Amino acid sequence: MQKKSSLMKKLKKYWPFYFLALPGLIYFFINNYIPMGGLILAFEKYTVSGGIFGSKKIGFQNFKFLFSNADAWIMTRNTLLYNIVFILLGLVISILTAYFLHELKSNMSRKFYQTVILFPSLLSIIIVSYLANALLAGDTGFINNHILLPLGLEPISFYSEKKWWPFILVFVHFWQMTGTSCILYLANMSAIDPSLYEAASMDGATRWQSFFNITIPCLVPTIITLTILAVGKIFNSDFGLFYQVPMNSGAIIDVTQTIDTYVYRGLMNTANLGMSAAACFYQSVVGFCLVMITNSMVRRISSENAMF
Amino acid sequence: MKKLIALLLALAMVLALAACGNSGSSTGAGTSAEGGDKPAQIEKIRIYVPTSGKYDDIDAVMEKVNEITREKIAVEVEFVPFQFGQWFGQYSLFLSGTEDVDILVNYGGFLNAYSQGACYDLTDLIQQYGQDIIAMEGDYLKGGVIDGRQYALPIYAVYSWNMGIIYRQDVVEELGLQDQVAAVKTIEDWEPILAAVKEAKPDMTPFVTSSGSTAPNFQYGTWDDLGNKYGVLMNGGETSEVVNLFETEEYARLCNVMHDWNVKGYSSKDIQTQTDGFTVLTQSDAAFCTLGQVDFNTPFYQSTTIGKPINVVQLAPAVGRTYNNVTYIVMSNTKHPEAAMKFLNLWFSDIEVGNLIKYGIEGTHYQVNADGMAEYLPGQDANSCTYHIGASISNVNSIRWNTENPDYAQLLIDSNTNSPKSVALGFAFNTENVTNEITQLDNVCAKYQIGLESGAMDPATALPEFIQALKDAGIEKVIAEKQAQLDAFLGK
Repeated sequence: MQKKSSLMKKLKKYWPFYFLALPGLIYFFINNYIPMGGLILAFEKYTVSGGIFGSKKIGFQNFKFLFSNADAWIMTRNTLLYNIVFILLGLVISILTAYFLHELKSNMSRKFYQTVILFPSLLSIIIVSYLANALLAGDTGFINNHILLPLGLEPISFYSEKKWWPFILVFVHFWQMTGTSCILYLANMSAIDPSLYEAASMDGATRWQSFFNITIPCLVPTIITLTILAVGKIFNSDFGLFYQVPMNSGAIIDVTQTIDTYVYRGLMNTANLGMSAAACFYQSVVGFCLVMITNSMVRRISSENAMF
Repeated sequence: MKKLIALLLALAMVLALAACGNSGSSTGAGTSAEGGDKPAQIEKIRIYVPTSGKYDDIDAVMEKVNEITREKIAVEVEFVPFQFGQWFGQYSLFLSGTEDVDILVNYGGFLNAYSQGACYDLTDLIQQYGQDIIAMEGDYLKGGVIDGRQYALPIYAVYSWNMGIIYRQDVVEELGLQDQVAAVKTIEDWEPILAAVKEAKPDMTPFVTSSGSTAPNFQYGTWDDLGNKYGVLMNGGETSEVVNLFETEEYARLCNVMHDWNVKGYSSKDIQTQTDGFTVLTQSDAAFCTLGQVDFNTPFYQSTTIGKPINVVQLAPAVGRTYNNVTYIVMSNTKHPEAAMKFLNLWFSDIEVGNLIKYGIEGTHYQVNADGMAEYLPGQDANSCTYHIGASISNVNSIRWNTENPDYAQLLIDSNTNSPKSVALGFAFNTENVTNEITQLDNVCAKYQIGLESGAMDPATALPEFIQALKDAGIEKVIAEKQAQLDAFLGK
């Protein structure tokens, strides 16, 4: 009762804000909560006549294909490792990029560089995959024909050699995504009170000192929020990056297969709704658990920075 | 203030409920409107088809079609066309039964539709209302049967074909290789031709795959693949012994030839990631030949599609087989199965309906020339003509377009009727018991098949790995299941 009345009090006091949030809440309810009923598909052998709720329940059989083979380990390892690299390296790269942009004195050049860095994220992944192909191809690729050949080196057959792909994929990912991921940090940096920097420079702090002692601490809440969110998606992968950029080449599948591409390759021909739902269910449940765990860890270390 | 909040919350609830109510009830509303209140009335059915053509004028065309169908079978039909790209993106959704659609066309077989229970059992209806289809299709109708029940209608198309080499006739003539080409019997004999082309035409890739890296190079093999590649009948289905294609000598031989060609530079180093196929590449003179499905009409069809003289070498005589690529199904949740069957039969057999649906209204969307073939009106072409969906249920239920082989209909019937047939003709594999295995096998194939069949991977090392991976993924279980189903089909 106590809680309810305090909610009412809050509603009363802040109602314009709740009102503003209303369209978003309705959207989420319709778009994200109602479809959750469909998760029941993961436990069914779906038939058209039975529909979503009337089909035969078959327990966990739909989940079998995710675990019952040698590839299960490979795809899980790839998904996790790539995501860990993306999260950790992503922190460093996007904060540094944001900092460099922030430190630019001239507004013109800041706008210019920001646009240049942001541009790749506007490209469709198909176009990105062909840009990569223009660099990497064997017959016509830039690297083979205009760098390695003139240097008298052996050409590299990128699309059949596994060892290059962890680097290529990480590079392409950051080339494409840094622009968007540094925007939040950039916005946060411009919100830091400039008097802090002034005071620091009065006391003789160097740029790096003020970066580590002012900028980073001010960014910590953002860093934690974004990291927790990213951890929640650690079992998901950017399908376009792992399927399109390697041009679906079979020889390098051991290092490019992720859970999403495995599900796509396995179910594209069979179009089995139950199994696809099972794969998504698995990814979401693991992601949800990881968010809860990370958040509770953060709460234990510094409770004011935890998300909830 | 409280009242205002209560009002807003109530409003939010209503909005949300209304939204979910809408999505849930759309099918119901549709059917009740067409519904069975007055059973003697004209029944309305809806068909989804993909097309690469124009359909701006579809309402006018449908009105004409309905004039005929109302009179003959008391049915009104509505075609809903989709662009091909959109179609393949949404097909799974259509299958899930959430759309208000009665008839659906399936590309790449109807087994997915069957395993989701989307196919209406047409066994009795086809006897009752589908006599024209039965008379025309004969044995080929079995391509829509599972466990003795008719679940789909295969379109009347080319069923008799085999693997062959498709090449540029003009290049062969230019280099004076006609005699050599005429002597080619096996795929190994083809190498000197490639060598000659490579030397004379440095800008032309001698060998490319027929559909780029989107499909395996040996998709159209000399074997009968029985609906999917896991377990095949060799030599076009001579005997009913289901074998593992990837372990056969024939497969190893083909892979070796492809690898040899790749090493010798007859195919591109990037062959396994090259997304463009023969048709696209050869239009810009970038390719000389490919491997593909060859039937009586391939030279004619390819020549008109590509716009350059194309000829073929058959690597084995054409065999009639179940190639359930395109079929029509009636959705299992339809309210009008009889009407759907009646319409399919009429469409299949009535040349007037066939012409209307395929080409539109004569005089508005096409005209008939002196040779009795259809063509665009003067001043119109594929872009300016407002209707030309080209969709059809039979390749002989309309007059021919002026780019087609004038004798196509008769040649097709002859070819389908007279060529030898696979023992498994009409067999459709029900994958229900082996879904997990097939999911894994598809992933194994994604890793090896395109690389091996294009020649980019060395069969000496990759083929044994591939075979072992297939075994680990359970190919033997799938083959055993297939053999059991085939034996049951053949009444053993």
